[in-house]
Amino acid sequence: MKARTGNKRPASASSPNKKLAPREWLRQHRFCLKDALQRLYSQPVNTFMTLMVIGVALLLPALLFVLGSNLSQFGNRLAETGQITAYFHANSTASEHQTLVTTLQADERISEVHYISTEQAMGDFANWSGLGDVMNNLDHNPLPASLDIHLPASDLTDINTLAEALASDPLIELVQVDEQWLVRLEQILTLSDRIVLVLVVVLAMAVLFIVGNSIRTLIANRSDEIQVMNLIGATKQYMARPFLWLGFCYGLFGGVIAWLFLALMLLFIHEPASALLGFYGSEYQLIGLGWQASLSLLLGSALLGWLGARISVSRHLTKS
Amino acid sequence: MIRFDEVSQRYPGGHEALKQVSFELERGEMAFLTGRSGAGKSTLLKCIMRTESLSQGQILVHGRNIQRISEKQIPFYRRRIGVVFQDHQLLYDRSVYENVALPLRIDGYSEHDAARRVRAALDKVGLLKKEKMNPVALSGGEQQRVGIARAVVNRPQILLADEPTGNLDPELAADIMKLFEQFNQIGVSMLIASHDLALITRLRHRMLTLDNGQLIRDEQHPSRQGGRPA
Repeated sequence: MKARTGNKRPASASSPNKKLAPREWLRQHRFCLKDALQRLYSQPVNTFMTLMVIGVALLLPALLFVLGSNLSQFGNRLAETGQITAYFHANSTASEHQTLVTTLQADERISEVHYISTEQAMGDFANWSGLGDVMNNLDHNPLPASLDIHLPASDLTDINTLAEALASDPLIELVQVDEQWLVRLEQILTLSDRIVLVLVVVLAMAVLFIVGNSIRTLIANRSDEIQVMNLIGATKQYMARPFLWLGFCYGLFGGVIAWLFLALMLLFIHEPASALLGFYGSEYQLIGLGWQASLSLLLGSALLGWLGARISVSRHLTKS
Repeated sequence: MIRFDEVSQRYPGGHEALKQVSFELERGEMAFLTGRSGAGKSTLLKCIMRTESLSQGQILVHGRNIQRISEKQIPFYRRRIGVVFQDHQLLYDRSVYENVALPLRIDGYSEHDAARRVRAALDKVGLLKKEKMNPVALSGGEQQRVGIARAVVNRPQILLADEPTGNLDPELAADIMKLFEQFNQIGVSMLIASHDLALITRLRHRMLTLDNGQLIRDEQHPSRQGGRPA
């Protein structure tokens, strides 16, 4: 064979085993990303439909997650407010009440003790119920004196031991604990966490299938190109690259759509929700996804798209 | 350059496409592979490309048993062989330039080196002025030239062609063959499958004839020296 001068092969291609130079590798990836974006753009209707389906699939778990985090914030707030109410026997005296209040105030577990005398209870009730006139006509005050006891932490065991101690006190007739309510709330939160988890798994699979199927169609559409590439020596990785980037874009943009939908929904319900929640504490704010969860949503969806493409590519591109 | 040793190839289902085929293509040699449709010409080329695997025998290319090339190494092996197809196999979603540049992109050439090589290849096939066009806008003969430019842009030492003139009228077909001879003259080894006997007998090259999977004739053109016995 005649020697040829100027047959300069690039260093990256001089050995068949050698990996591409990082710069070249980056250039190829940039090329593929651009190609992927162009392909998405060139079929706007198709792309829009696919992205919407992915977006809606991702929206569901995100929505439940927001609901759950709001509920748990709400629950914590409630748990912080008075947990034990103890009612005194009607025949106990005010001085006896004060002794107990002093003892309780010394208790480390308790952050605040409010003593509500019979008169005060009457006044509050009259104000609150609007039955002041009726109450004034009663010949004796039917309302007992009571204690509102606040605990710093919403620890159920502390609340329970304290409630038991109070119940055994001869001065106390009845102890009421918001325990049932708190237990239920905690159960609801656990349940909602589980539902989010199940939905994440199921809908992640849905996203995998949606992306996988879209990529399968694209591979079928480009079978001529793949055949030619295969014959002129393209590696599997090289042929797979544009499809993996496509999957990545599907996932990422689907995630962005889910995020936007969620933001719009929160904006829509913000006013009535704040008005409702305002009753329970003025500083209460409806919380959104937050930047950490938003980032997880976007990264997770992009990763899912990539993975869906990867599965599809390994199933449909390997036939050489 | 290419050596077949008792090569047989059987398709699943029992059809034997190649039967005990043996021959050797020397470095820098040009040979035609002929025979009726279904005689096994395409299969033989596919075996060299390793898109078909053998049921018996071995093929040595560059002195290397190609059956031993691992799955992972096949793409790199294929990059050293140029292929021209009957139906051009061009990609109609990109320009002539991009079609020819494809092997270089795969091989990781820089944009600058690639541009130089693509233009050189297009110049050789006489299509330098049409690099920006879409292949669809070109005639059949021109499209085949683009296919040839793509096959040689990587400067392979071996060029295979499967019925490269199958869809062309005689004049264009002769032009294409002339182009192949030019590449052969700069040292590229060539194996061209064609059933156009009228054309290839006029060209004075070695002729391998397949019939029903068997190599029935291997004749060097009488005008050439060092002819081998049939």
